[in-house]
Amino acid sequence: MAEPSEKLLELVGRMPDPDDRGMYCTNIDKEKIEAAIAEIHKGGTENIIGVIDMLVEPGRGDDVKAHYALHCIGLYVCKLGEDARSQFGEALVSQLGGNRPKAVQKYLIEELQAFGGREAVEKLGSMLTDEDLCEPAAMALVAIRRGARRQFREALGKVKGRSKLTIIQNLGVLRDRRSVGELTKAAEDDDQDVRIAATWGLANIGDAGSADLLIRIADNSSGWERIQATKACLMLAEKLIAAGQKTDAARTYKHFQETRSDPGEQYIKDLAADALASVG
Amino acid sequence: MQEDRRVTRRRFIQGAVGAAAAFTIVPRHVLGGTGNTAPSETFGGALIGCGGRGNGTFGGLGPNVKKLAQCDVKFLTKADNKLIYSDYRRLLERKDIDVVAIATPPGWHALISVAAMEAGKDVLCEKPMTRFISEGRAVVEAQNRYKRIFQIGTFGRFGESGNRDSIRTHKIMASGLLGTNCKAVHRKQGGLKVKEWSGMVKAEPQPIPKSLDWDMYCGPAPLRPFHPHRFGGSHRGYWDYEGGGLSDMGQHHFDPVQWRFAKDYTSPVEIEPYAPPAHPEAVAMWGWVEMKYADGLTFVFESHEWGKGYDRKEERGVRLEDLSEEDRKKIEEMPDPEPLVSFPDAIRTRKQAGGHAEAAHRCATLLHLANAAIRTGRKLRYDPVNEQIIGDEYANRLVNQPMRSPWHL
Repeated sequence: MAEPSEKLLELVGRMPDPDDRGMYCTNIDKEKIEAAIAEIHKGGTENIIGVIDMLVEPGRGDDVKAHYALHCIGLYVCKLGEDARSQFGEALVSQLGGNRPKAVQKYLIEELQAFGGREAVEKLGSMLTDEDLCEPAAMALVAIRRGARRQFREALGKVKGRSKLTIIQNLGVLRDRRSVGELTKAAEDDDQDVRIAATWGLANIGDAGSADLLIRIADNSSGWERIQATKACLMLAEKLIAAGQKTDAARTYKHFQETRSDPGEQYIKDLAADALASVG
Repeated sequence: MQEDRRVTRRRFIQGAVGAAAAFTIVPRHVLGGTGNTAPSETFGGALIGCGGRGNGTFGGLGPNVKKLAQCDVKFLTKADNKLIYSDYRRLLERKDIDVVAIATPPGWHALISVAAMEAGKDVLCEKPMTRFISEGRAVVEAQNRYKRIFQIGTFGRFGESGNRDSIRTHKIMASGLLGTNCKAVHRKQGGLKVKEWSGMVKAEPQPIPKSLDWDMYCGPAPLRPFHPHRFGGSHRGYWDYEGGGLSDMGQHHFDPVQWRFAKDYTSPVEIEPYAPPAHPEAVAMWGWVEMKYADGLTFVFESHEWGKGYDRKEERGVRLEDLSEEDRKKIEEMPDPEPLVSFPDAIRTRKQAGGHAEAAHRCATLLHLANAAIRTGRKLRYDPVNEQIIGDEYANRLVNQPMRSPWHL
């Protein structure tokens, strides 16, 4: 990391000082902030990386102004247009994966969640296998969306534990039809959270072939998992109706109407009966 | 006396169904048929989120709800999973709980509301309804899918809907007779606690209290280092959990106003902010936000705490003179809107509550659009049907923010 120039230090120094409560509530001068940010941006990638160099881990120093300035640059480039935005994204991406503290990298990823585009997808995909950064990288990829599915698919076999849960969930969020097989396997995982994420994902994808599996899981589970698996069945049925597959949806409703006999599940029986009547 | 009679009836019914514990409330599904109305009209209730607003919110459930359990992430070391819980999912598994009051920070409102309805419970949820727009849509869908009662924890519309002037405005707006020529302007001037509910931009991480499940507290939001200012009321100052005073006070203010102007089923189409660049995590200062509906109606949030004031449009109501004589007659002949149903009546009669999910969602959308404009510093155009910001991918990311696993709607 190079030492930031005097000029850059001075420009970042024009960001507001926190007030005595540690907040940005007094002496907030919009024009002064925006002029300084425009000046920083004129310095190009070198200045952006210079601001990143001023960031530190929480509790390891004062980076309040640099932290704010970096975000302000993101806001500024979005107003300038796609070229400026993608240059900013590339500058952030170039600082991931090295020796910077994980907390700093996490902040850069969060900035990519706000301002990143296609230029960030591959690098964020590589962060999915980093236990500390998997979750923020996943959130950034989901925000960017374009090209994200492939990154999750490729990372799935390389992770375990919470990272595996994160990837399973987001394959469902992104409705990745190519992952139906993996999600089907995950629907019977040892980890309850993974099972719930997978069944929800299959429903969100709207995979008609999963209907019987979801019903079986709903029937055979209890407590929270039964509630969630039932939700997945109902979600899938609604998606099938929207896709014109009313017969498949009706099968789910008929099953619940006939089998949810516990008084505590009367509301499921009732809604299934209503839905069945409306499907015709 | 009434209380005694109710208890006696309940005990009688308990005997009839062979319940063992004398003080266990028979859940309404045991007693009622379709619609689940219990003959005793006594409901088992639970409070989720036991901070400053907890008991007040629970009180909104009405006198016929008995608190059977409470849940809070700060109960980690004393949870017995009988009366006290730290994980709402365990609480929602209970079949003797019919109704839940949710008074957590708003980052949890949608997830718990949806989960409660999935578990067959009716919901009274503190305001603001949600953390971002797509969460509100999910709550509406859950309300409709499970046919549960949802009421937002602000009640100004109940008084508003009894006011003759407001009823007239409501009828004019609902009629659509103004076309796209509505000249009304409603300005919310001050009272939005902007400085009071800002976040810290400089905060040293602190040790997590042993009694607090911090990971659960953060929930769908990013897992951050603990600081007490992010917890216990001052959470309002962080985008992770809420949207500052604008969100927190805005739903109180605009809930009745939205009813008056008959905007429970739509949202503004243009949103323009005046604010300094926003901080990425901490809610901070802003000046005003102007929001226009497709018919020309304008709402304005004014902080009166930063920058130059709003000077574009004067406050103006909807006037009968805005209509032709023929149209005025139509308004006179229009029936008044149906009286709004209170939450206690709604859970008894299974009629939609006055502050139902769609109305609450549209009101929360005002807050989220205003904050999205403040956070991006840009004029936004919004599609109220598809609930998307038009032509601004980066602003649209604030409409439907990704959630940290395992949380999803």
